[in-house]
Amino acid sequence: MLHLDASNLRAFGRGCAVLGSGGGGDTGLGVVMAVQAVRRHGTLRVVALDDLDDDVWIMPCGMVGAPVVATERIWSGGEGEVLRGMFEALRGAPVAALMCVQIGGANGLLPLTWAARCGLPLLDADGMGRVFSELHQQAMHVAGVSVSPVVLTDGRDNTLVLRAADDVWAGRLAREAAMSLGGVCAAAICAMRAGPARRAVVPGTVSLALRLGAAMHGKGIGGVLDALRDELAATLLIEGRVVDLERRSGGATLTGSATVRGAGASAGMRQLRLEMQNEYLLALEDGTLRAAVPDLICVLATESGAAIPTEELRHGQSVAVVAAPAAAVWHRADGLALVGPRAFGYDIDYGAISDRDGAHV
Amino acid sequence: MSELRIGVVSGETTTDAVALDARDRLLAAARVATTGAVGDDIATAIRAIVADGAVAPETVRWVMLGTSYVLEDVAAVGGVRKVAVVRIGGPLTTSVPPLATWPPALRTAVSAGEIVVAGGSEYDGRAPVALDADAIARFLSGIGDRAQAVAISGVFAPVSPAHELMAADIARRELGALIPVSLSHETGSIGLLERENTTVLNATLGEAATQLGATARSALLASGIDAELLFAQNDGTLMCVDHARRFPALMIASGPGTTIGGAAHLSSVGDAVVMAVGARTTYIGGLVNGIPRNHIGATDIAGVRTSLRLPDARGIAVGTSSITNNSEAGTPIEPDKATPSQRRAFVRALTSADTTLADALEEARATRPVLPLVVVGPGQRLVPDQLEGINEVIRPQDGEFAHAIGAAVASVSGQFARICLDRPKTRRSALEDIRAAALARAIDAGAHRDRVAVVEVEEVPLTHLVHPALLIRVRAAGPYC
Repeated sequence: MLHLDASNLRAFGRGCAVLGSGGGGDTGLGVVMAVQAVRRHGTLRVVALDDLDDDVWIMPCGMVGAPVVATERIWSGGEGEVLRGMFEALRGAPVAALMCVQIGGANGLLPLTWAARCGLPLLDADGMGRVFSELHQQAMHVAGVSVSPVVLTDGRDNTLVLRAADDVWAGRLAREAAMSLGGVCAAAICAMRAGPARRAVVPGTVSLALRLGAAMHGKGIGGVLDALRDELAATLLIEGRVVDLERRSGGATLTGSATVRGAGASAGMRQLRLEMQNEYLLALEDGTLRAAVPDLICVLATESGAAIPTEELRHGQSVAVVAAPAAAVWHRADGLALVGPRAFGYDIDYGAISDRDGAHV
Repeated sequence: MSELRIGVVSGETTTDAVALDARDRLLAAARVATTGAVGDDIATAIRAIVADGAVAPETVRWVMLGTSYVLEDVAAVGGVRKVAVVRIGGPLTTSVPPLATWPPALRTAVSAGEIVVAGGSEYDGRAPVALDADAIARFLSGIGDRAQAVAISGVFAPVSPAHELMAADIARRELGALIPVSLSHETGSIGLLERENTTVLNATLGEAATQLGATARSALLASGIDAELLFAQNDGTLMCVDHARRFPALMIASGPGTTIGGAAHLSSVGDAVVMAVGARTTYIGGLVNGIPRNHIGATDIAGVRTSLRLPDARGIAVGTSSITNNSEAGTPIEPDKATPSQRRAFVRALTSADTTLADALEEARATRPVLPLVVVGPGQRLVPDQLEGINEVIRPQDGEFAHAIGAAVASVSGQFARICLDRPKTRRSALEDIRAAALARAIDAGAHRDRVAVVEVEEVPLTHLVHPALLIRVRAAGPYC
C-alpha cells in the first residue's frame, strides 16, 4: 500500500506543482504543513477505490478562495475534522476516506494534513487530474454527482452548509461565502459513496503526482522532461525564453499572455504564445493551436526543472513548455463543454496536442 | 574641504576602502586581505588609504560600511540574542508552529520559547478574535531573563497592526521598557511564515548590529577618524547604526546591491546589466532606473525562508582566480594584463558553470531587449569587448572599486508596506499613509528631513480575491544629514 510521509512529501509536492498547470497556488506551505502533520499523527495511508466497499462514504475536500490569503491566514490543520464532523452529521454515516478535489497546486497538499489528523486514509484519486478555478469543474459534476451540499468552515468555528439550486450556484455562493469567512476557507463538496465514485473521479492521481515528483528529483531539465514524458505522456512544445509578458488582473482571475521564443533545440524564429487565466490555458504557434485546455500546459524553469506558476512567470526567464493530455473524462463532449477553450471565453474549438508539423501526437 | 566620505566594504577575500570628496572624486583607494576580524580589516584598510597622504583623517565626515558580518553570525550560530517568539493568529496558523521550518541548531540557538496566541486580523482589516493579552503576559513572564529580545508577528498585521502594537506594550511591561521588540508589520510583506522569520532574524541580530557598530567605530577612532557611521543595506542604500539595530536583517547581504549601485554611479547608466568580477565569484544583476532589480519571491537566509527583498543577482563561482597562467602553472593571472585567449577562457569558464552566462545575462536584462553591460570589480578587464547578446561593454574608470564606491555614494532609504482593499478611496488614503510612513522610515534611517523624497511605489494585487486587495510598498530616499 502507498504511504505518504516526511520522506516523500516533497516529491509529492513537486508533482502537484506540475499538475497545477500554472495554477492552484504555492505547494510549499502545504508540504510544510503535511510534514508537521505526519510527524505528529503518523504516516498517511493512500487507498485505491478497489480497496473500498461500495457503500462507504468519500469526502472530497480542499480550499475555496484565494490561495495567497492562506499563506497569511495559515490553516490550523483542524479544519478537516470540522468538515468531517458536519459531513457525518449530514449523512448519518462515517467518512471512510478523504479525497483531493484537485490534485494540482496547494489543493493537492491540503487534504493530506486533514486526513492525517482525522486518522483517515486519502483516496488515490481527485476530481480534476489538474486545476480548474470553478468549483463545479469537477469530474463528479460531469458524472452527475451533486456539488451540494457544500460544507464550509473557516477555522474559527464558523461552519456553513450550502444547498444550492445547481452546481454553478454552489460555486458562486461558496466563493462569496469564502470572502466573508476571511478570503479563503476549507470546503467539502461532492459527497459520494465509493460505488458511484468508481465512474465519477479521476483515479490514480495521488500515486501519479508522487511518481512524477520522485522521477523529477535531482534531475536537470532534461531528466525532468523525460519524467514528464514517461509519467504524463507529455509533449515538448518549445524550449526558449519568455520575451513578452502581459498581465491583466481583475477581480478573482489573473489573466495574461506570454510569448516564448525558441532557443537551443527549438532554435530558429519560432514563437509560442501562451494564454493564461490563473492557469496556462492555450498554446499557439503561428496562429495554430498546439495545445488547449483541458489538456495540461506546464511551464518549467530550465535552470531548476521546477514548474512555474502563472503569477511567477518572468520576462527573460529560460523555460521549457510542455503539454500533456488531460484525464479521459475531459475529452468527452460533456467534459469539453465544461472545461474546453470556449468555457474560458476563447473563440476557438478544442484541438488535441499537436507536434510542430501539426500532426497529432 | 572637510566633507570627505570613506566607503569600506569587506568581501569574501578582500576588504576595500575608498575616499571621496564632496564632488564624488576618488581621492584614494586601497585593497587589503580580509582576515575575518571585521574591526581589524576596517582598521587595516583605513590605514592604507590614510597612509596614501591624500586623506587627512580629521576631514572625514562620514564612513559607509558594507559587510556580511551579521549574516556570518547567523550562519555560525553565534552572537545572536535569545528571542521570545510570539505569533498572534490563534485559533488559526497552528498547523505550522513558529520556527518549525528553521534548521534545528539555529532554532535552538535563537529561540527562548515560542507561543501562538489568539488574535490577528483578516485581509479586510476585521479583527474577529480579541488579542489574548493574558497568554502573552504569562508566556513572557515565564521566560523572564532568558529572552533578550521579543519578536511579534500577527496574521495580516500589514493590514492592521493593532494587535502587534498591543503585544509590544505587554512585552515592555513584562520584560522592561528597554527590551528590544521586533514587529512583523514593520517588515511589511504577505506570507506569515516568511515575515515571521524575518522578524525573528531582526530580533536576534540586533545585538550583532550594535556590536558591529561599536567595533567599526573604535577601529575608526584608532585611525583618527571621528565620523558618522552608516551601514549599507541589501538594496544598496544606507542606514544609520540606530536604524540597523532595529532592522539588522536589512544589511544581511549588501554586497550585490552596493556593487550594482556603484556601477550605476560610475557609468552614469540608468538601465543596464551589471557584471561584477571578483576573485572567486562573478555576480550578474540588473539595473533598472538606476536601482538594482529585485528578486521575486521568498529569499533563503542561512536555511530560513524570509520575506527580505534582495537584488536579483546571480553568483557564478568563477572569478579572477579561476584563470591561471599557462607559463607558471597554478598562478592566477593579473586581470589588467589578460591576453585575448585568457579573456576567452574566462567567458568559457563562466558559460560552462552550472548557470550559463547567457541565462544570467538574459534574466538580468529582463524587460529591455538591448542593454549595455557594465563590468566592474577587480576582474573587469577579464571581460572581452564582444559578448553575444550585448551591444556595448562599458568598463567605467575606477570600476575596480565599484563596491566600496557604491557604498560611499549611496543615499539613505527607508521603506514601508501595507495591504489594503483595492477600492479607490481606501487605496488613496492608504497610499498617503504609506508614503508618510516610508518618509518617516527614511528619516529614521538617517536621511535629511528636508531632502527626502518618495523614489518608488509598487502595488502588487493579491490574486483570486472576489473583492481585490493590494500590497502597496513605498520606498523613500534622500541624502544623509
